[in-house]
Amino acid sequence: MGTSNGDDTGTHRRSTGRSAGSSATGVPEPADGGSRGTTAAPGEVRLRRALGLTGATMTSTGLAFAVIDYIAVVSVLTYAAGVSGWMAVMIAGLLVAVVAGVFAELNGLYPTAAGIRLYISRALSERSALVITFTYLTTVVLVIAADAFLIGSAIRHVVGGPPIAAYGWIIGLLVLAVVANLFGVRLAGTVQTIVTLTVLVATFVLSVVSLFTVHASYPHPFGLFHGGIFHGLQALVFAIFLYAAFEWVTTGAEEVSRPAVITKALFIAPVLLFAVLGVFSLALAHAVSFSSSHGSAYPQLLLGKAALGEVGTIWMLGATVLAAMNTFNGGFLVASRFIYAAAREGLLPRVFSRLNIRAVPWAAVIALGVTSAVVAALVFATKQWLLLVAVGSVLEAGIYAVAGYCVYALRRKDRARERPFALKFATFFSVFSMVVFGVLALVGAFSDPQHPSHLSVLPALVVVILAALSLLYVRAGVPRIRAKAEARSAASRPRRRPPRESPPSVA
Amino acid sequence: MANWDELAEALADYQTTCNGNARLRKMQKDWSKLLHFIAEDNGVRFTMVVDHGEIVEYGQDHTGVPDIIVTTDSETFCDMFWGDLNPVAKYLRGEIKVKGSQEDVMRLDAISFVIWPD
Repeated sequence: MGTSNGDDTGTHRRSTGRSAGSSATGVPEPADGGSRGTTAAPGEVRLRRALGLTGATMTSTGLAFAVIDYIAVVSVLTYAAGVSGWMAVMIAGLLVAVVAGVFAELNGLYPTAAGIRLYISRALSERSALVITFTYLTTVVLVIAADAFLIGSAIRHVVGGPPIAAYGWIIGLLVLAVVANLFGVRLAGTVQTIVTLTVLVATFVLSVVSLFTVHASYPHPFGLFHGGIFHGLQALVFAIFLYAAFEWVTTGAEEVSRPAVITKALFIAPVLLFAVLGVFSLALAHAVSFSSSHGSAYPQLLLGKAALGEVGTIWMLGATVLAAMNTFNGGFLVASRFIYAAAREGLLPRVFSRLNIRAVPWAAVIALGVTSAVVAALVFATKQWLLLVAVGSVLEAGIYAVAGYCVYALRRKDRARERPFALKFATFFSVFSMVVFGVLALVGAFSDPQHPSHLSVLPALVVVILAALSLLYVRAGVPRIRAKAEARSAASRPRRRPPRESPPSVA
Repeated sequence: MANWDELAEALADYQTTCNGNARLRKMQKDWSKLLHFIAEDNGVRFTMVVDHGEIVEYGQDHTGVPDIIVTTDSETFCDMFWGDLNPVAKYLRGEIKVKGSQEDVMRLDAISFVIWPD
């Protein structure tokens, strides 16, 4: 190390006798004397533990693959004729590939965990970014609540008991997730990768098995638009939901050594999701009657039973539990840290920035758990789980349209900034994203798979209420909280940094 | 633009404040990391070693393979180590760039929050 005040060695240490970068952290010192961290290839940084391509791909896939996806497949089948749901999953996958390109460019531009908010604030405005991000955050809560409800229902289906027992399971699981989070217990990267892989393989294998063991017909295998173009589009918007949250892997942008890892993960994850959910869609339509799956909160268990009897039911219950574990692990982590950061910035009440002794933002974790329990109770009471899929689909398609706009706007506003991944034909694809996902969001806003025979304003109503609450909060609540935080900060103590006595010299 | 002497002065104060905070030491007792810092405006690079929540040393230049890399301008670093600015706002605006796991990024911010609650 170089020279510094009052220390010949240039290091400032507390008589531990350690040399920087070696025994203090257990980091093996490189043989060349320890500059390995700075000798990386251009554009690449060296981190002791960086997220690799497998980890990033599994993170992306795991974030997207929640228990609610099994229900979303039912929503797709509601509008896709015969067994043609797989076509909707495939077309949605192709559209999501464009989204992958869009997010890859944005991630390269601003490789930070605060990604989506940063893109929108640069492309639109800070206020728009906050409104959209807060609304977007509700998707996380919806998915956590939905997964809690669905796994509670699935367990109750297998172990039996009165209907209220399902809610008991829901509360029990949420309490478990909250307590685990408060104690800082979370799945390590490798475990998460294994869990995700297990869920994918279990679902894929059982789906393939059912195609061979169940002897039924395959009506309209290519007839996605057989029931009309609008029904085809409705199937498509719910198929988009199957990929929802794959883009959250961009929040891991700081954990990779180079942006290309995230870029590749963004393109590979949709392929894996298509392979598994496309086959699952085909299998479910083939092996389970629509009347059974449409009214069920556990269609995957019905498929398991159709394929392998009780063994299949337990098999899919295992996959369901693992998928929910992933959701609780990732969802609580992403959402509670977002809430913490927002509170630290003065956008949410100060209590949400409080940390427990394990450095966990306890108020944020508890608030998430309680909100999820309330939403799950509403779903339990109203049996409107398919509405959650519809709302999630609209929000997700909306976000993809906004992301398309961000690329379009930033290509003009921030032309000079380096783009490690530059989307080819950016103008075309960004406009394409805005139009296609904008239209799909509109279609989804008036589609309730619970009542497929007619248009419904319910999803639109829920989304508008969420957005209005978010807007109201950003316009009225945030300025007050910010003013309080600033007043508190100014009053709490004077500036600590000593004033300069003479102009500083350049190092 | 702050030079290394000013940064070192800020770091010395930061080290004393952090190591003297019992709650922080307890909270970070399982946190041992090697941190690299890069001041983009003047090219100053420095390293900090945290061992079980204690800042055991810091110094100019980079040594070892880091767990976390923090990049911003020298003035921001100074203000941050003196506790005169909340790093979160700058981080969310992309003015402070961090490489490292999300958990470590949060822990890093938690240090500032615990020693300077507001």
